[in-house]
Amino acid sequence: MKRSHIIAIVIIAVAIGALVGSLYDSSTYADLQEAMAHPNKEYHVVGVLDRSEEIVYEPSLNASLTTFTMVDLKGNRSRVHLSMAKPQDFERSERLVLIGKATADGAFHAHNMLMKCPSKYNEEHSIEG
Amino acid sequence: MINYIGEQAWAGQLGHGLAIISFVSAMLAVVAYVFGTQQRDASWTALGRLAFRLHSVAVIGIVVVLFTMLFKHWFQYDYVWKHSNLQMPMKYIASCFWEGQEGSFLLWTFWHVVLGNILILNWKGRSTWEAPVMTVFALVQLFLALMLLGIYVGDVRIGSSPFLLIREMSENIGKPWTLIPAYLQAIPQFADGRGLNPLLQNYWMVIHPPTLFLGFAATLVPFAYAIAGLWTGERKAWMAPALSWTFFGIMVLGTGILMGGAWAYEALSFGGFWAWDPVENASLVPWLTLVGAGHLMLVNKRKETSLFTTLLLTLITFILVLYSTFLTRSGVLGDTSVHSFTGDGMLPGLLLFMLFFIALSVAVLLADKGQRRFYWGISLALLAIGVLLEQQVPAILTFAALSIGFLVVAYRKSFSTNDPEEALWSREFWMFIGSLVLLLSAAQITFSTSVPVFNMLLEPFGEFFGWLGKSTGSSFLSGLADAKLAPPSEAIAHYNKWQLPFAFITAMLVAFTQYLRWKSSDMAKFRREIMLSVIVSLIITVGVSLLLRYTLAELNYIALLFAATFAAVANGAYIFKVLKGKLKNAGPSVAHVGFALVLLGALISTGRKEEVSRNSKGMDLRFLNEGFSNNTDILLYRGDTVQMGEFYVYYREKDQEGVNLNFRMEYFRTEARDYRAGDTVRVGDMLFRARQDHRAGELFLADQPTHWEPLEDFRRRDLWYAREWSNTRPGEPLFELAPFVQLNPRFGNVAEPSTKHWLHRDLYTHIRYADLSTEVDSSNAGWMPDRLSEKTLGDTLVTPNSVVIIDSVYVVRDSVTVAMLGDRFTVYAAKLRIRDLYQADRWFEARPMVIYSDGVPVANRPAEVQPLRMRYGLATVEGDLNTRGDLKLGLNVAEAEFLVMQALAFPGINILWIGCVLLALGTGMAVWQRVRNTKSDKA
Repeated sequence: MKRSHIIAIVIIAVAIGALVGSLYDSSTYADLQEAMAHPNKEYHVVGVLDRSEEIVYEPSLNASLTTFTMVDLKGNRSRVHLSMAKPQDFERSERLVLIGKATADGAFHAHNMLMKCPSKYNEEHSIEG
Repeated sequence: MINYIGEQAWAGQLGHGLAIISFVSAMLAVVAYVFGTQQRDASWTALGRLAFRLHSVAVIGIVVVLFTMLFKHWFQYDYVWKHSNLQMPMKYIASCFWEGQEGSFLLWTFWHVVLGNILILNWKGRSTWEAPVMTVFALVQLFLALMLLGIYVGDVRIGSSPFLLIREMSENIGKPWTLIPAYLQAIPQFADGRGLNPLLQNYWMVIHPPTLFLGFAATLVPFAYAIAGLWTGERKAWMAPALSWTFFGIMVLGTGILMGGAWAYEALSFGGFWAWDPVENASLVPWLTLVGAGHLMLVNKRKETSLFTTLLLTLITFILVLYSTFLTRSGVLGDTSVHSFTGDGMLPGLLLFMLFFIALSVAVLLADKGQRRFYWGISLALLAIGVLLEQQVPAILTFAALSIGFLVVAYRKSFSTNDPEEALWSREFWMFIGSLVLLLSAAQITFSTSVPVFNMLLEPFGEFFGWLGKSTGSSFLSGLADAKLAPPSEAIAHYNKWQLPFAFITAMLVAFTQYLRWKSSDMAKFRREIMLSVIVSLIITVGVSLLLRYTLAELNYIALLFAATFAAVANGAYIFKVLKGKLKNAGPSVAHVGFALVLLGALISTGRKEEVSRNSKGMDLRFLNEGFSNNTDILLYRGDTVQMGEFYVYYREKDQEGVNLNFRMEYFRTEARDYRAGDTVRVGDMLFRARQDHRAGELFLADQPTHWEPLEDFRRRDLWYAREWSNTRPGEPLFELAPFVQLNPRFGNVAEPSTKHWLHRDLYTHIRYADLSTEVDSSNAGWMPDRLSEKTLGDTLVTPNSVVIIDSVYVVRDSVTVAMLGDRFTVYAAKLRIRDLYQADRWFEARPMVIYSDGVPVANRPAEVQPLRMRYGLATVEGDLNTRGDLKLGLNVAEAEFLVMQALAFPGINILWIGCVLLALGTGMAVWQRVRNTKSDKA
């Protein structure tokens, strides 16, 4: 066997390993119902902030805990405990991606959140008249 | 036809016209250069050159028109309205220019034009490279020009134009206001634009995108040369002229990427310089393959064995640039990236752009004309199937399989050799391995970044994977069936885990490969030359490991620490030992030292990043859920001095400067605390008195027997006001930091960090949460906004740290008040009994007042309870004062003003920045040396 063949085999093996590794490490998008059905499993949940419910952030108690209610894309809602300080302009957010897991108490515990604001990069005009 | 008043429609028409000219002239250049290549006819080539120059003029014209529109604030144009406004400083007009999709495409196109013209000037019309290389340039420009046209093919819009008036936007067509001739004057929104995102109003945003796009543009040069070489049968000769350009691209693209990191670190609150965000990854991946390609070109100067890999890496680099464009601009990343563009209908155009150049690359690798035609034919058929039958995913996957198949065919037919293999201990062999490692590293990053793309590709096969998952019982496979893959939850950990071994191997190769000779090496000499570097690196590694307290469990860090140190030391030694300090040829070594230092700096600063603000004494954490004790941020009341890490930090004040709200913090050295005889301190529920003057030690328990006598007899009240024992106190002031929040009602407020730089580390702080009221109303200075609640007699109100009981409400009738206010006013006061939430028997009393005149509250005087840092105010009083239920009180509660801050220490981050500079400098030196060598070869 030539050395180049060995190299080729190693390369292909690592490449496949990396591909499978990427898929394996990847999380899953889910709605709240699915996340609740599998407590303690990591999910990405996409949804919006429920503005009608209270957003609780008491920094003097815990500067890294924000609690709010989220509605996922299917209309399921859940209380969310996010272990981050309340982001600037949270109330104006348009879309949230929460990364975390549901717990047995029926709340969603997120350790990270991506937030899209309406005007960050693109906004349609709203000139009416 | 309506005659609109005050509209500068000519500019848009001029821009549109120039865009059409740029498209048509690019097409003409393609045709002429193709004939020039095929027929080796200088007159066709001359025509192509003319067309490309016309194209260049048109592109520069477009740039000038767009800049003019931005400078003149013509907000009737969508692009100007969306990306600029009147208040913005003029220096950021450039940032506005490339903030949007269209502008950044334009920037990219512009650099291609610049590079293309430099090439044409260098050839002086005498090179056979011109026609084929410029064919590729013109083809790329054709696609980019198409992206700026914004035309509709059926229902599908390809590209988008920056020259549309707002009234011409598809969502506005037909709206009544578009029929008003004086709409610009009538509708106030047209008076000013929306402005530039405050995140981007930063000098980095002025220099980072042009550098990055110049880097992207530079990858086109080796790509075009490679295609040209394969097309004209010059399978190797293309590398000589492409080599300097490749290293130029490595330098510029690398600088552009690192500038992005510096920007993120300095101006954005991402908490670091690199977050493995898809947009960052998309720029890093082509750089990795470009580095691989450049090194393989060096190998090929000596030996032809790795020609195919060289071509592959060169071609793939540009394709990855297109892929990164596709990822970041088509909208496929969607929810996975914080800062990608939204799609805006760019997807089909971008996809075609990329697929075309994949097809072109595979086709030119096929030496056989019949195979080439066959491949093009099937590709076109697949395109037709994809577009007409709307079977895009199967068509793309078939195309991918077909392309890989033909790559194998091309390799076996024209590139596989039976030459003897290169020697194991030769420079070319290990450079080859290094390039493959870079390719694998790039592949891993690409895979993980492409997770959203996998979903699109997996979707049609849902049933298949579902069946496969069921029959094998693998939850992994059935997971694929849902096509709902999300990026790794712990993205940074995921990438670090995978990239660390690649970085280790690369650094080891960078360390020793230069010491090997081409063809084969004298191993005894090799060992002799490198031994000292190994020993020095081992000593440094052990020293640094001890200093940074690496444990054996972090063997992977120690391994990378050694490899990076070894690479830096060995390449540094190479300059002196082998090159005898001749700086002329030291470019590669300097660049390698820079690369090694970048790895080292990244490893140390992120691996030993310290959350200084963590675990500091906040309030009581007893009542919190177990999972949420990870308080990484510090809470600071205004005027308070709190210990944070090795400092004491004092939040002095906030002030406003333009749109920035600065939060000024002073930092003090931590000093040992001295107690005097008779001082009283509190420890738990006990009080102690100092027996004699002494300096506090580490632990109270150790100090107590000799220095502190417990007090037997004290009132609980004394306990509340006694100081807690502490062994430190704030010492001399050290420095001030002022992290700030940029206020922008339109885009949202943005927190920007403030960083203290030392030689050996940085302290990086940013505001997580703060009261953003700007204190025009000074009565509220020092307090958070009031929280109003309605209560009645006997009610209780729970605040974060107190329980308020409404004891009674009465009218103040003392003679002084009545004499001062007369009888038009009524003064109400509420007697509040307040209990500390955390100390059951600690009671306070507060009597806030409100003054009514004719049944309307006109003034109030809140009552402060300093020990609790609370202020209680009476806003309204209605109903009978003595009847529970009928009396309605508006009760205001405010906490003392505070903010929440995160502080991170990045040790050794300067190693990273020094590495960046050396990497760019060394690569620049190497390019310079090559260009000079080529010139002297010619002479």
